[in-house]
Amino acid sequence: MKKGPQPHGLEPLDVADANYLLDIPRSIPTGLRVNIRGRSVNLRGLRRNPTGIWRWLVILGPGLIATSAGNDAGGIATYSQAGAKFGYDLIWVMVILTLSFAVVQEMCARLGAATGRGLLDLIRERFGIGWALFAVGIILIANGGVTVSEFVGIGAAMELLGVSRHVAIPLGAALIWYLVIFGSYANVEKILLLMTLVFFAYPVAAFMAHPRWAEVAQGAFIPKFRSDPAYIFLIVGLLGTTITPYIQIFQQSSLVEKGVARRHYGPERIDAYVGALFSNLMSISMIIATAATLYVVGQREIETAADAARALEPVVGSAATLLFGVGLLGATLLAGAVLPLATAYAVSEVFGVPKGVNLDFRRGKVFFSLFTALIVIGTTLALIPNVPVMRLLVGVQVLNGILLPIILVFILLLINDKRLTGDLKNTRRNNVLAVGTLILITTAVLVMLGGQLLDSLGIQVLGGG
Amino acid sequence: MVMLSQLQRFTLRDEQGRHARLRDLSVALLDGDYPPVTRLYFLKLNKQRHSLSWEKVKAIDWPSGQIRVASLDESVGESTGSMAKEVLLSDGILDALVLDLQNRRATRANDLWLEENDGNLLLHSADTSFSAMLRRLTGGRLGGIAKNALCDWKYVEFLRGDPEAVRSEAGQHLRISRLPAGEIARLTDSLPYLHAAELITLLADSKAAHTLEAMSPERQLQVFEELDEDQGLRLLALMAPDLATDLVARLQTQAMRHYLERLPRKQAERIIELLRYPENTVGGIMTNDVVYARGSLTVAEARETLRGPLKNPHFVYLIYIVDDESSRRLRGMISLRTLLTADGEPRLEEIMDPYVTTLQPLGGADENAYRVINSHMAALPVVGEEGQLLGVVTVDAAVAQVAPRSWSQRAPRIFT
Repeated sequence: MKKGPQPHGLEPLDVADANYLLDIPRSIPTGLRVNIRGRSVNLRGLRRNPTGIWRWLVILGPGLIATSAGNDAGGIATYSQAGAKFGYDLIWVMVILTLSFAVVQEMCARLGAATGRGLLDLIRERFGIGWALFAVGIILIANGGVTVSEFVGIGAAMELLGVSRHVAIPLGAALIWYLVIFGSYANVEKILLLMTLVFFAYPVAAFMAHPRWAEVAQGAFIPKFRSDPAYIFLIVGLLGTTITPYIQIFQQSSLVEKGVARRHYGPERIDAYVGALFSNLMSISMIIATAATLYVVGQREIETAADAARALEPVVGSAATLLFGVGLLGATLLAGAVLPLATAYAVSEVFGVPKGVNLDFRRGKVFFSLFTALIVIGTTLALIPNVPVMRLLVGVQVLNGILLPIILVFILLLINDKRLTGDLKNTRRNNVLAVGTLILITTAVLVMLGGQLLDSLGIQVLGGG
Repeated sequence: MVMLSQLQRFTLRDEQGRHARLRDLSVALLDGDYPPVTRLYFLKLNKQRHSLSWEKVKAIDWPSGQIRVASLDESVGESTGSMAKEVLLSDGILDALVLDLQNRRATRANDLWLEENDGNLLLHSADTSFSAMLRRLTGGRLGGIAKNALCDWKYVEFLRGDPEAVRSEAGQHLRISRLPAGEIARLTDSLPYLHAAELITLLADSKAAHTLEAMSPERQLQVFEELDEDQGLRLLALMAPDLATDLVARLQTQAMRHYLERLPRKQAERIIELLRYPENTVGGIMTNDVVYARGSLTVAEARETLRGPLKNPHFVYLIYIVDDESSRRLRGMISLRTLLTADGEPRLEEIMDPYVTTLQPLGGADENAYRVINSHMAALPVVGEEGQLLGVVTVDAAVAQVAPRSWSQRAPRIFT
């Protein structure tokens, strides 16, 4: 036998133990002392749930991401228009919408946890192939259209920050694609959650605009009704841009993929509520920022989110423009990931093929191919000059408008089906709020469709909402 | 042969000339490879759903699309009883997720193929093709039948997505139970968690325990929490101690205590022992269900003594030699092959390999997992401060520890 120090692992056993103490981790968790079978044992291997603030932070995910994605390029444009055209007068709509939005999103989250299935899964199983194909057909076209506008938004935001759109759009698309294709659900969720932080640019911009807070409060809590068609259409626009089918689809499907089961649903509703509240606070910030600046100086006509950012520069300086630009970039990148994902979830659910970010490409061929195709089409169309994005968005708004009340009716029927949801069935209060939301949305959609119809007949009533 | 989408356009006509549109049919799901239709459902004039037993059918007039029955008055109102053994074709199976076992995938039943056989109408296949969707949407005008897209019902598993509905029905005849546990676990990845829990409820305990072992930790927990307590206990008792420990460690403290109090003593002790080590240590990835023998035994005596201990553990390829059973101080090891092929006379300590690389239980999990992988051994033993054998880290536990998360959930666990 060799003498002297020996390589690790080859020592005779009776002299070997001391060497292994080198491997001991620096800190050993305290563990939990539990009395089991009459014996007190310290269990260090238990996977404990986070406590304190982390307990609540880990809950945030699908709800916050889905609702924030609603504040996309089209949303920012609508909120900026509301502020620029009518000052603080429309904030009350957003206050009421927050409640409706929270109710709808929470129902979807509950439906996902109670059944372990996505919204389109349930529509196919409960209402048949006809309704499922109708819904998925509209989702495919509408989400495809909005995806193009998101990539146009990425280009516009980067141009505000001094980068050419020809570089920015493919780069943004590649980043989103890489993240989803190669990331796990947990990583994708973390990164998308981090992206929601850029929305804080809007409250900062709102404070920089030095609004009159008394007027803001008045606008938030005292509803003002006007007979001006533009005012009415802008209310409809706010409703349509806040509550959109893809937000509900993404919320439910991603909650299912996160693995939230019915027994642990309780705290998860916080995610839906926080998401609705956060998203609408950001929307209100956009209204305040533009109301305190563009409305005051009389600059009322804003068409896109980038227009709003540019218009802010002479009024409050380049910092506000930069903030709006950063906010727009974050918002469009987030929506640019969420929209194709929501579409891929919806199509996979209807056709019963494997779905989920956690899959690899081999197992989720349809899911990832559709996701990739939407990114490629969105990028390509966004790079082609003179693509009529605004006209595209109007068409998409009509499609989403047709689908939204139908989806809400389905959600209501499903969540009230005790065989499906058991103890997580809607309460009477939930139903009152949800039916109220449905009536509100159906009225808004009818007004919007009527407006579009009159518009197409050459009768101009739409004031630009 | 008829497709359900075509059959749904048939009418029921009785001898008095009254007729009603056929709405749905139920089948006895557990009755053979091709479940027979048991009842016909239709709407009466008052819009109430009624059903007639299949025995009341006199004849089917295929060209005119009519099912002749004696009297529609013989029907009964919708049953409020349990449908545990029966399922509706249109309301239950059509559009639902089914498991296509031949192609190892979950898919949707876009249409159903029924065949008349000896006076019965049998559910023969599920049509999963796109043309079946087209056929249904166009009322049969478009969408031909592609036989290669038909899944023979013999190889289709239908789940309701409700573990409660089938709890009393032992469905251990299930064809899926013939698949290896790992394949069943992968198949359930494509199913909602309630469907996966229902499947586990239907499987025999040993298969269910192995399937649960092969699931990803998140899915494992979702499914386990849907099982009733007795089944949960039976499965935990059958699982490898290290994998059962990983599952128990994720339960709520109250539930964890409850299960450990009620588990068979030996398994509970093993799990408690493993739970004492933090998850990022060697102890956190080791199993303590190992086979060991006293070095002073002869090979023949060891063969006799180890017959019992070799029956249960997942990992039996290496047998560890200790000085005595109470102190379990590790002296060396022999392989199972050596034990079986060696002469009977020599003592184990004479033929054992005394040079054993050992791990320390509080060592870091990652670096020691690499040591196991690099050793090209099936496992490395873990010893305590006094040199006593505590357990082993198997190569598949080591691979699962260091593999990327997306892969580690699908990494095979053969030894444990």
